Parts: sequence; structure tokens; C-alpha cells
Amino acid sequence: MNFEMTAEELAVIDSAEQVAREVIQPLAQHYDETETFCLASIRALGDLGCMGINLPEEYGGLGIGSLAMSRVVEAVAGACASTASAMTAHFLATDSILLGGTEEQKQEWLPRAASGELLAAFALTEPAAGSNPADMRSRAVREEGGWRVRGSKHYITNAKEADFIVLYVKTDPDAGHKGISAFIVPRGTTGISFSSPEKTMGLRGSTIYELSLDCWLPESALLGVEGQGFNTAMAVLDRGRVEVAAMSLGIANAALQASLSWVRERQIGPKPLAAYQGTQWRLADMYAQLESARMLTMKAAARRDSGERFSLDSATAKLVAAECAGFITDAALQLHGGYGYSRDLPLERYVRDARILRIFEGTSEVQKIIISRALLDAAK
Amino acid sequence: MKVLACIKRVVDYNVKVRVKADNSGVDLANVKMSINPFCEIAVEEAVRLKEKGVATEIVVVSIGPTTAQEQLRTALALGADRAILVESAEDLTSLAVAKLLKAVVDKEQPQLVILGKQAIDSDNNQTGQMLAALTGFGQGTFASKVEVAGDKVAVTREVDGGAQTVSLSLPAIITTDLRLNEPRYASLPNIMKAKKKPLEVLTPDALGVSTASTNKTLKVEAPAARSAGIKVKSVAELVEKLKNEAKVL
Repeated sequence: MNFEMTAEELAVIDSAEQVAREVIQPLAQHYDETETFCLASIRALGDLGCMGINLPEEYGGLGIGSLAMSRVVEAVAGACASTASAMTAHFLATDSILLGGTEEQKQEWLPRAASGELLAAFALTEPAAGSNPADMRSRAVREEGGWRVRGSKHYITNAKEADFIVLYVKTDPDAGHKGISAFIVPRGTTGISFSSPEKTMGLRGSTIYELSLDCWLPESALLGVEGQGFNTAMAVLDRGRVEVAAMSLGIANAALQASLSWVRERQIGPKPLAAYQGTQWRLADMYAQLESARMLTMKAAARRDSGERFSLDSATAKLVAAECAGFITDAALQLHGGYGYSRDLPLERYVRDARILRIFEGTSEVQKIIISRALLDAAK
Repeated sequence: MKVLACIKRVVDYNVKVRVKADNSGVDLANVKMSINPFCEIAVEEAVRLKEKGVATEIVVVSIGPTTAQEQLRTALALGADRAILVESAEDLTSLAVAKLLKAVVDKEQPQLVILGKQAIDSDNNQTGQMLAALTGFGQGTFASKVEVAGDKVAVTREVDGGAQTVSLSLPAIITTDLRLNEPRYASLPNIMKAKKKPLEVLTPDALGVSTASTNKTLKVEAPAARSAGIKVKSVAELVEKLKNEAKVL
């Protein structure tokens, strides 16, 4: 397995890390406390040319490998997880068009999304269809010259801020998952209403909404081929899980780095916290878990570019990285004691932000289903 | 107008430098390297001059090891048009660097040469001045403002107690101070495009310059560790200590 990156990819990571550290990180606490959309950070990423790191050059993307892409996601997440969430939600939408759209749709939407001119959202989840998208109830029915779409979606990141939404609905309710199709819904489409931003535990700078749909869409809004929505969404989520794993590494590493500074400064009795074996063992456990998750993420990223099936790799990376982020952020807060619990330091934010990683883009339990299914299929 | 921007590869300013165990120098193994911050300001100023329509071509030059190509690529991503590396693995003195730059100036015939006022590794603050002496060009050092008009350039200099403005005939040498500008970030698409821009590699021999050094570094040491402070009980005691122990009053 090849983990090497080009000189340009290394320079891309370097520049993204600089912007993450100098521009995005200083805004993170503000967006978390005010629970407002991380607009300036997303604009900074747009100016940097970061909103197309998931796309090939022919559609205005950067044309870098997934290994480098995941390092950029990690850097952004380490600075502000909300910003990374808004950015990767945009990637889910543009990946949907890349994998499921017609050539014309790719040319129309992807270059402007890659340049940061347009922000995108990905609308799959419904109140009664989370882990199993086939349970979705939102429907599109053919009306003369187009489609009438009715239903609702919830927990949709960027929905209200987005310039377009990639929307997944049933076009044939009797065909199970084969009856799902995707549509591109531009901002300003009549008949879509948004709730207030949902009140969430973490990622408070990345606003999520419930959508109510009763709108008409032209035939050209259908993404690619009717009935292909489920396959597109699953392929997009396979890719997206590498990004969630990278986000997990970013938050976990930020918590570990904060801890390493803290334990050398914080005096307990005559010695710094770092001099106690209990601290040392805890730090070693944090590091070992982080590096294990990192290797799995790198493997999944490398497989993502190989053209082979990588559902097993991306599910394993996502499961382990998200769980490790939970462990590491909690351990980091514990090392900080009362100071970690205070909102003056980012430790409690890391804990809150990391919690969703075990839930969205497939819960840990769903990842285990994907993993065991792949193992059992291979053993047949 | 052609502008020559000069950059040096140095240890990144965020890195805590460590001295080698044998005191022969700073440990560079696996250390992040970057463009010297003052040199980055030089590149940014050149790019701004081009954006204003004053400069027509920006050539960026560095003198250093093969790996300095990384910093040249960054400068190309920031907006330089082409790059020259004068490759040398030696630890060069300021004079040797100035002689090599003089040779590049002779070859390229720029109207303006912009350099950082000093590098954050050796802190010499010599190369720009030496290059001015070797070329005979006017120099505006420690620039906080640069305005080109016709065949003149007005340079506002940061000097003790204020600012001094000098007018130089082109071609001229400028060295940058911190206030001149705030460098942009290299955008990711520009980083990818920079690999297609030309980068020429030269050697001191090809330029006919001898880099033989008259200096020898004897020893490099870390700064002495600071001792802990003390608390005083009264203002009188503070004044007494400042007078008799610190001897600063």
C-alpha cells in the first residue's frame, strides 16, 4: 500500500494547516458559543481553494489524492470541527454529483462549488429514516414537464446556507431502495421551508435544519438516472466515511496536543502532572489509539483512490477513528480536571464535537453491520 | 518592469530550534522548513507591484540546497512567474550570497531587487546592503512602504525614532521590514499550478562565483536558561534590588 504524497500535495497540506491555525482556529470558540454558522471560516476555505479538494481537476477540483485530502480535513477539524463538518457536508453533495450526475450536471455545478462560489448541502436523512435510507417517505411524483416533491428531511447540515441541495427522495415507493432518486435543488426553489437551526450538543457552528418540501422541480433537476439514488448515496457515504475518520483524527489530535502542553505546566504537589505515571500511561494510550486510527484512515484513503471496493476499509476507519476521538477527548478533559470542564478552554468543546462522530454518516453500530457483512460475504 | 525577489529557506518560525549535541549547529533533521518571513514579505510586495501593473515579471531566486526548490515552488504559488535556484549545499556567508545574487542580477537585469532585511536563522542583516554595494544600485533598507513612479522608487524606511523616505533611481535594491505588507496564503489551486511554472537550477560555478568562506562557525549554543523570578515585599525593596543587584537604576 502506497502512502506517499507528491511535493504539491505536501505543500497543499502545509498551506491548509497554516490557514486552519491562523484564521479558522481563532474563530472556533466564537461560532460554538454563538451557535451561528461558521461563515467566515467557510469563506476562508473558499478563498484558499479548499472547497474542491474532493474533486478532480476536470471539474474545477484540486486533483489531489484522498490521502492528502484527508490530511486537509484533519487540519480543519483540529482547528474548528464545525467548519470541517460544513465543509465535508458540501463534499457529500458534490461527490453525489460527481458519482451520480450527468456530464452536463457536473459541468454546471461542480466548478462553481469547487471554487467556493456555491455552497452545497446533502439531504438524505428523514425523521423516520436515519440508519436505513430505504425507509424514507419523501416522494417525487412525475408531473407534466417535471416532478412534484413532497416530504421532509431533517438534520441537514448547511441546508439554509446552501446555494443548492442534493436531495434524495423516493420516485418509486414500491421498489425499496431501488426506488430512490436524487435531485439537485437550487436555492430559492419555491415550496421549501426551513426550521430554525436544531439545538445540538456539539458542532454548534455548523447549523443543521429540518426541511419541509412541497415543490416542483424540472426534469433537468433529476440527478443522473432515475432509481440510482441509493447506489449513489451509498458510494458517497463510503467516501464520506474517510472524511469523518479524518475529522475524528483532527479533533483527537487537538485534544492530545492540548494535553501534552497542559501536563508539563500543571503542578500537582511538587511535580508537574507529566511526572506521574498515571498521566504518562494515559498519554501513551491516547497516542496509541490515535495512531492506530490514523493508519486505518490512511489505508481507507489509499483504497478510495485505488478504484477497488473500499466499504470495509472506510467503515473500519470511521468506526475506530470516531470511537478513539471519544476516548481521547474524554481522557484529555480528565487530564485538565476542572479546567477542562470550564468553557474557557476548548477541551469540553472537543468532547461535545466528537460525540456526533459516532452517530452521523452511519452510527458505530451501522459500521459494525457493514464490517461484519463484508467479512461474512467474503467467507462464503 | 522585471522584479527579482530573493528568498531563503529557513527553519519555520513556529519550530522551537534545538542545538546539535556537538554544538556544531542547529539540528535540521525532520524540522519543518519555510520561506524566511521577511523574504515572504518581499515576494508579496513583488506580487502586489505586479497586480498594480507596475511589475510585468517576477523572478524569484534562492541560494541553497536542492530542497530549497520547495520554497521556490511556494513563491511561485504566491504569484512569482519563474524561479531560479543557485544550488549550494554549503553554509554560505552573506558576502558569498550577495556575490551570487550579483551574478543573477547581471544575468536577469531586473529593475528592482527585493530582499528580506534579514533571515531569522542567522540574523545577519547584510545581504541586501552588500548586494547594493556590489551592483552599485541605490538601496532602501527596512522598507515599510514602496512606491514606484517612472524611473524612481520612493521607499519609506523604518529607522530609530520614526520613518525616513528616500527616493532611489531604478534599478534599486529594497529590503523589507515587517510593516511593509501582510503576505497572503498560497491558495491550493495555485500550489498545484506552480509545478508547471519554470524553475531553473544554476550552480555557483556556472555563474563564475567563488563562495570560499572567510568565516568559520566555532560553536553554536542554546541561550542560557532563564532563572526563576522572585517576589519582593515592598516597593522600597524593589528599588533597592534594581539599584544594587540589577544595577539598572
